[in-house]
Amino acid sequence: MESVKIKELLDAYFEGNTSLEEEKSLQGYFNSGTVADEFMQYQPIFAGLKVAREERSNKVFSLPKNKSKKNRTQWYSAAAILVIAFGLGSFYFSQPHYTQEEKEALAAFEKSKSAMMLLSENLNKGAEQLSFVDQFTITKDKIFE
Amino acid sequence: MPYKDRLYRLAKRILISKDEAEDAVQEVFLKLWNEKQNIENYKNPEAFAITMTKNYCLDRLRSKQASNLKIVHSNYQTSENIEKNIEANDGVELVFKIMETLPEQQKIVLQLRDVEQFEFSEIAKMLDSNETAIRVALSRARKTVRDAMIKKYNYGIG
Repeated sequence: MESVKIKELLDAYFEGNTSLEEEKSLQGYFNSGTVADEFMQYQPIFAGLKVAREERSNKVFSLPKNKSKKNRTQWYSAAAILVIAFGLGSFYFSQPHYTQEEKEALAAFEKSKSAMMLLSENLNKGAEQLSFVDQFTITKDKIFE
Repeated sequence: MPYKDRLYRLAKRILISKDEAEDAVQEVFLKLWNEKQNIENYKNPEAFAITMTKNYCLDRLRSKQASNLKIVHSNYQTSENIEKNIEANDGVELVFKIMETLPEQQKIVLQLRDVEQFEFSEIAKMLDSNETAIRVALSRARKTVRDAMIKKYNYGIG
């Protein structure tokens, strides 16, 4: 670019009267590496702006996970399930636990118990009848006294 | 993440510290996220994000100043290319230093125009101002940088 044109652009630039296009051409000129001596003093400004434009952050910016709320309720339900399972389990295991053989023995015991009950009931009936015999004895004693 | 770098650069221009700038961008993202249902309705989400970043950073700066704390920046001058480039060019480093001394409004306008290359009309909307005021602030900022550079140049220090 001609130095007259550059001078013109620079003056407009410092007055804030350049368009983006003109500013880009100034940028291009000053960062091209072939800057006329008379404008050398402005070179660092445009070099600085170029450096500023290339600044980046390496940091990864994180956004809150939308799931977090859902996740929390999931954790709550998991915990609830564990508690319920534990409760049920401890109830179940606190109950006496019989093997097959023991169950059979128990059933046999129940059967014999009911058989005994039947027997004793009938026995009691018989014993009731015996009271008549007692009455008989009493009357007999009266007669033969 | 769209606009991430632009928001970061703006935040860094205002807050200067790299860490503070990263925190600010993270904070702005959270705010944008919370309003994400609305953001689609905005005509220009990028402008909205930039305005938000600007406001957040200025608030941050003010609260720091109010509590008499200065933002200390311990920007690592290590392996990052950008930092290397700055060190390699004293003049460029000087430009950054001068930019740090600008008033906030000028700093922001210079950043949005000369670095991010937005139109005056866009910047006016972002900063809730008018184009004339933006041009004036920009001209002042550019001249301040130029004058400081020439001064250093003539003394042969820069």
